[in-house]
This record gives sequence, C-alpha cells and structure tokens, in this order.
Amino acid sequence: MALLRPSSRSRRRKADSRGNRMWVWFMLPGTLWMTGFLIASLILVAVLAVGTTDELGNPRFGFDLAGVRALADPAYTEVMLRSLGYALLTCLICLLIAYPVAYTIALYGGRYKNALIAAIVVPFFANYLVRMYGWSVVLSDDGPVLRALRATGLADGDTKILNTGVGVIAGLVYGFVVFMIIPLYAALERLDVSLIEAGRDLYGGPVRTFLFVTLPATRQGAAAGLVLVFLPAMGDFVSAQLMGGPDQIMIGNLIQDKFFQGQNWPLGSALTMLLMLVLLLGMFGYLRRTRKDEAEARR
Amino acid sequence: MTLVKTSPAAAPARTAPKPRSRRGRAERRPRVLLAVTGLFFALLYLPIAVVALFSFNSRKSLTVFGGFSLRWYRAFAHDDVLLSSLGTSLRISLVAMAGSVVLGVALALGLVRCRTRLGSLAGLVMLVPLITPEIVTGVASMLLFKGLGVALSTTTVMLSEITFSISYVTVVLRSRVAALNPEVEEAAMDLGATRWQAVRLVTLPALLPAVLASAVLIFALVFDDFVLAYFTTGVDPQPLSVRIYSAIRFGVQPTINAVGTLMLAGSVCLIALALFIPRLFGRRGGLDILSGE
Repeated sequence: MALLRPSSRSRRRKADSRGNRMWVWFMLPGTLWMTGFLIASLILVAVLAVGTTDELGNPRFGFDLAGVRALADPAYTEVMLRSLGYALLTCLICLLIAYPVAYTIALYGGRYKNALIAAIVVPFFANYLVRMYGWSVVLSDDGPVLRALRATGLADGDTKILNTGVGVIAGLVYGFVVFMIIPLYAALERLDVSLIEAGRDLYGGPVRTFLFVTLPATRQGAAAGLVLVFLPAMGDFVSAQLMGGPDQIMIGNLIQDKFFQGQNWPLGSALTMLLMLVLLLGMFGYLRRTRKDEAEARR
Repeated sequence: MTLVKTSPAAAPARTAPKPRSRRGRAERRPRVLLAVTGLFFALLYLPIAVVALFSFNSRKSLTVFGGFSLRWYRAFAHDDVLLSSLGTSLRISLVAMAGSVVLGVALALGLVRCRTRLGSLAGLVMLVPLITPEIVTGVASMLLFKGLGVALSTTTVMLSEITFSISYVTVVLRSRVAALNPEVEEAAMDLGATRWQAVRLVTLPALLPAVLASAVLIFALVFDDFVLAYFTTGVDPQPLSVRIYSAIRFGVQPTINAVGTLMLAGSVCLIALALFIPRLFGRRGGLDILSGE
C-alpha cells in the first residue's frame, strides 16, 4: 500500500474502504463459527466449573463452589503435580533428543535434508493411537527394547517400562518429539555455519562454540519447541492409559474420568480450567521471554 | 528408557576433548551425531514396523511371528462394526474437509486483506485452538452440545472437527495469501473486473494448489483424530479411531493391527499427496504446508 503514488491515493482509499467491507464479509462466517462453537464453549466450561448437574447428569447452572473446592483435595494436587513433572521432563528429554537429530540433519543432511525431515514428520501425521499402541508393544516386557537392554546387560529380568512413570514419559516423548524437531530444525537451518567456524577460529573449543554461538542462536527455536511439546503433553491421557498404571494417571485421565465414568461434570470442568490456567501461564512466560529477546535483538 | 539414553550419548560429541587437527574434528563430530540420529530413526519406525509386521501374523501374538497370513485383514473385512465405523469416519472427514476449507479460505483472505479491528480480533479467535490442548476443546465441545440439549452423534463430531480444522486451514493459507501480490488483483480491477471477480478469477486460482493440499491434509487429520471425536461422538456409530481406542485398552487385538496398518498406509499416502500437489502445478512442493511457515 505504501508503494502507491500520491496521485492515486484518495481514489484507492475509497476503493479500500469498499474492499474492506467485502473482506469483512469473507471473515464473518469463519469468525462467527469459531466464536459460536469454540469461544462460547470455553466460557461454558468456566461457567459449569461453578455449576451443578441434575440426576441425569445434565449440566445445571448455578453457583456452587463444590467443584472448585474439591481441587484442593491432596489426591488431585498430587495428580496435578505429577502431570506437571511428566510434562516438564518430556520437554527436557525431547529437547535433548531433538537437538542432535535436528543438528545432524540441518548441518550434515546435504541434499537429503528435506527427505529426512519428511521421514520424521510424515509418521507423526499418521494415527496417534496406532503409533502409541505400537510403541507400547515395543516397550512391553518381552518387546524388542527390553530384550536388547537385557542382552547388553543394561536391564535385568525384573526391569519394566510399561506401567511405570518411565513408560508414560516415553509415550509422551514418542508422541510429541516432532514438535521439538521442527522449530529446532528451522532455527538450525537458518543458522549461518560461518558463525560456528568463526567461533572455532577465535579458539573456542567445540563446547564453548556450542554454548556461546550455536545454542544462543537457536534459543528461540528451542523455546518454541518447549511450548509446542508442553501443551499436548500436559493434556494427554492416552500415554498414561496405555503405558502407565493406576499410580501414573495424569490430569487428562482425571478429566476423562469425571466426564465419562464419574459423571461429576462441575469437578471435571474445574479440572479443565485448572489445566488451561497452567498452560496459559506457560504461554505467558514464553511470550514475555520472546518479546524480551526481540527487544534485545532490535537494540 | 532407550529414548532417554540416546541424549547423554550425544553430549560426548560436543564435550569431546579438543582434537589435534581441524580435519579430525570435522570427521569425528558427525559420527556420534549420526549414530544418535540413526537410533532415533530406528525407534521412530520400530513401533510402526511392529504393527505392520504383526498384522500379517498367522498367530494371535504380538511377540511370536507364526508365518505370513491375511487372517486379520479378512477378519476386518467381515467385522461389520469396524466397517460401519470406517464409513462413519470417512463421512466425518469429507464433511469436515469441505466445511473447514470453505470457511478457512474465506477467513484467510479476509484476515490478510482486511485492516479493521474486527480483523485483528478474528486473528486472535483463530489462534485459540492452537494454544488449547485437544482435551480442553473436546470437553468444551461436549459441554456446549449437552448445554444446548443436542444429543451427541456423528453430526456433533463433524461440527467440532470443522471448528478445529478452520484454524489449521487459515494458518496454512494465510502465509500463502500474504505472499500474493495484491497489485495483481488491483490490475484485474483496473481492467474492469469487480472485486469479487478479481478474487474468483485471479486470487483463488493462484491459491488452488495450497487449498487442495490443505484439504487433503485436513481429511487425513480429521480421519486420524481421536480426542475430539472421543468427546463428541454418540454411542453408535462411532468413528474408527474411537473404536480402536476401546479395543486397545483391553489388550492384544490382532484385527487392530490390520486396521492400524491400513490407516497408517492411508495417511502416509494422503500426506505424500498433499506434499506433491503443489508440484503438479509447477510450484515448489514442500513441508511448509505441514507447519504453515
């Protein structure tokens, strides 16, 4: 728009306002749909968190803090803290796995770069349940992973992965590691390799070059990856169900239980709101961090 | 456990003592990194390979391979419940694809071209599904339908899937619309086209490859979606992924291996198709369609 010559500006502006009206009509159906189905339903969850249900389990509106108060129950606090711990560990492990993989592909992938990234991304778009089911078979007591570990002496006959916290985290990592690889790969791809060489030329060892050159340059990719993994990991209930036992349930399992078996919808809604709150705090921290980074970069 | 083990293995690659020559370093570094990457790929594909392999097993076991057989595929072909679920899933995916592509393309065009307050508000609304985990969207949709007194059914799944898919289509297409030169539209109008004609005859054809690619992707994503479908489906007929979920919760189900293998093959074909579509139009195909970047 700035490129327009001044002579045509007023004519354009009139056309613009008429055009704007048409574009508003373009946006309207989608926006109304999203507002009606999504925003309204999210508000409904908040309202029902302080509501009640009738004998048939249908939601009734009202003001009853029973659901919210029940959140203070130590049993729920424990599940909440466990979910938080699992999700954070998943983020960390994803970062530790995704970094070398993305680094290798971005710097040594050559002309196979795109094919390799596609080979990682495509399976992740395939059915989540089938993948998790296959993963649970692989990690089962006589699956290939434990057999290999036993053969190399890293595990004995009693070592189990399924029905432990390790199993649940392994499931979450397998489920969401791609969300870490994509932003990291994008950041490493953009990285100017001559920066690394410059670091070496200035007598930085591999460690120092990595810590002071490569890592800071890809920090934003890593931060985006952490958020992208944290969001689904925190809300997941399939991994805990397939890979964990009753002692490994996460907040997603609680929510599912309150809506399907327990029929305690106000409590389920309160748990959902609590989950949203934690995630919004995480998002907020991420946005503040990136804004600070951008401000520093501009200086 | 093994997944965890891969990462410490990577650390020595970076913390290795300073080698004598630059050349030695350049050759040493990739070797460990390549090993880590190789192990990652192996573990990534192992579960998929196991499901595919044991779908051809003649025995009802997931650890002992008794010989090649199409027994479980035949069992699937004769399982009326699973077949009706397959039909339901296909119908849901088709409707969600059509609905979300129409609404999403219009929304993407409007978001890029419209500079009003409504525009920025719509941009925010569209981002909500991307920062909301699926379980929250699922719970919220279910409560909305229950609150309105609508019985959960295939239709409610379709409506929820459209809601979720709109923002996906919009994110992917928004960057494509932004990359178009608006002056081409203006040129069309200078030549006598109305605004709408300019959009229909100039802008939409230019977006066609991206629109088709995202439509194929949405089809695959909706077909494979589980969480949203799980919360919004009625009792009968249920989408295929919800059936798979009930089946795998109760242990080994060899028929599920066959269904899972077919679903994996189907999704991979669709995604490959989505990546390939832009090339059919002589554009650079690419992964950006998957990430919206």
